[in-house]
This record gives sequence, structure tokens and C-alpha cells, in this order.
Amino acid sequence: MIPEYTVWTVIGMLVVIGLELFVIRSGIFRRAQYWAALAICLGFQCLVDGWLTKLSDPIVIYNPDMFLGIRFPFDIPIEDFGFGFAMITAVLMLWQRNLNRRPEEAP
Amino acid sequence: MIGAWDGFGHWDYLALMGACVLITLPLEFVFSARVYRRLPLLLKALLPVVVVFAVWDIVAIARDHWTYDPRFGTGIDLGVLPLEELVFFLVIPVCALLSYEAVGTVIGWANRYAVHRANASHGTTSTDRAKPDPHPPEGGDTR
Repeated sequence: MIPEYTVWTVIGMLVVIGLELFVIRSGIFRRAQYWAALAICLGFQCLVDGWLTKLSDPIVIYNPDMFLGIRFPFDIPIEDFGFGFAMITAVLMLWQRNLNRRPEEAP
Repeated sequence: MIGAWDGFGHWDYLALMGACVLITLPLEFVFSARVYRRLPLLLKALLPVVVVFAVWDIVAIARDHWTYDPRFGTGIDLGVLPLEELVFFLVIPVCALLSYEAVGTVIGWANRYAVHRANASHGTTSTDRAKPDPHPPEGGDTR
């Protein structure tokens, strides 16, 4: 059985990608601006999430039955990066969609 | 391992969120992100994300995906959701928006610099000099 957090993370990523491609259609996936910002955010996630999940003194304690057990980098469960991708992509697509709707701010 | 320093005790998680706000604050002003200064636009993008991901968190806590060490939290809970998690869902998306807009600003600077260099190297006159595109395709709007 695939652990539950792992499944939810994959579903969350697919739902956000599907919303962007078929419903919101903000166009962020065609912008270098999005991919650069995503890379920067996932880079800083390593520091912030690394602090939250460090096994020496974890602030967030993960149930080993609920995730794959792969921790990288530091002690970060890899699922967290899918969660981060979904959350960051969701907020950026809504923001860009609203910018597109304002004629003075359209790209 | 990040380090042996044991942090701020009960304020540890909130202090981390505060650090995220402080570190990204220059993006708003030095890199003209204009995220905080467009508050209605910010809230329209932020609130649906806060609600959806807080619900994910609440259900995940209820299903025992993860728990929080009480030594590093204020102990203030909103139902099963620690206050710090709500702050997380407010702070991190704002950091992402600041990054996105700051990258847009830098791309705009790079585009204008490229146009400037092209004009300088071709020795064009002021009349046929290329104008910077006010709406370049890759972000970097010149507002």
C-alpha cells in the first residue's frame, strides 16, 4: 500500500496542475517568472522545512506509516515538496489570473 | 543537520515564520514586488489557498499523518490546528508571491538592459532606437 500522505500529495499536485491547465488558465506554466520563483521557493523550503522536520529536535513529527520514509535533503519527508509545489502553484495561479483580469496589469 | 542550537522554545515555530516575513520584506520595496501594497489582490489569491491547505492540515492531523512537539509551539490551538500552522499558511504563500513578483521585476530590468545594450552597440539614432516593450511576454511588466 502506498502511504496516505504520499497519495494525498500526488493527488494535490495533480489537482492543482489540472485546475491551472483546464479551469484557471493563468498561463504561469509558460512563464520563466513562475519556474524561477518556484525554484527559489523550493530552495528556501529546504531551510525552513529542514528546521521544522530535523530529527534531532523535530517541531513536526511525522507518522512513519503515513509517508514513504524517504527524507531528503536534511530530514525532510520528500512528500513535503509536493505539498509545497501544490500550495505555491495554487497561490501564484490565482494571483496571475487576477492580474490578467485587470487590463492595466495584463501581461 | 541544521545545527545544535535549540531555538526559541515555545516561540520556535512562530519565530521561524517571523524570520520568513523579515527576510522576504526587501522584495516588496527593493524589488518592487508590490504584494502587500495590493492588499485586495493579495487576499483574493491568498484566502482560498489558506482555507484549502488548512483543511488538508486539519484532516491530516486527524488521520495522524503528523503531530507537533508541544515544546516548540505556543500551545494555542484552533480546534486541532496549531496557531503556528495557520500562520504558516498565511506567511509561506505571501513569500511565494513576493518571490514571483521580485523575479518579474528582475526580468523586466534584464529586458531593459538588453535593449539598452542593443541600442548602444548598433549606434542607432534616437528616432529609430528600439523602445522597451511595455508588456514583455515573460513577466517583467514595466508598471
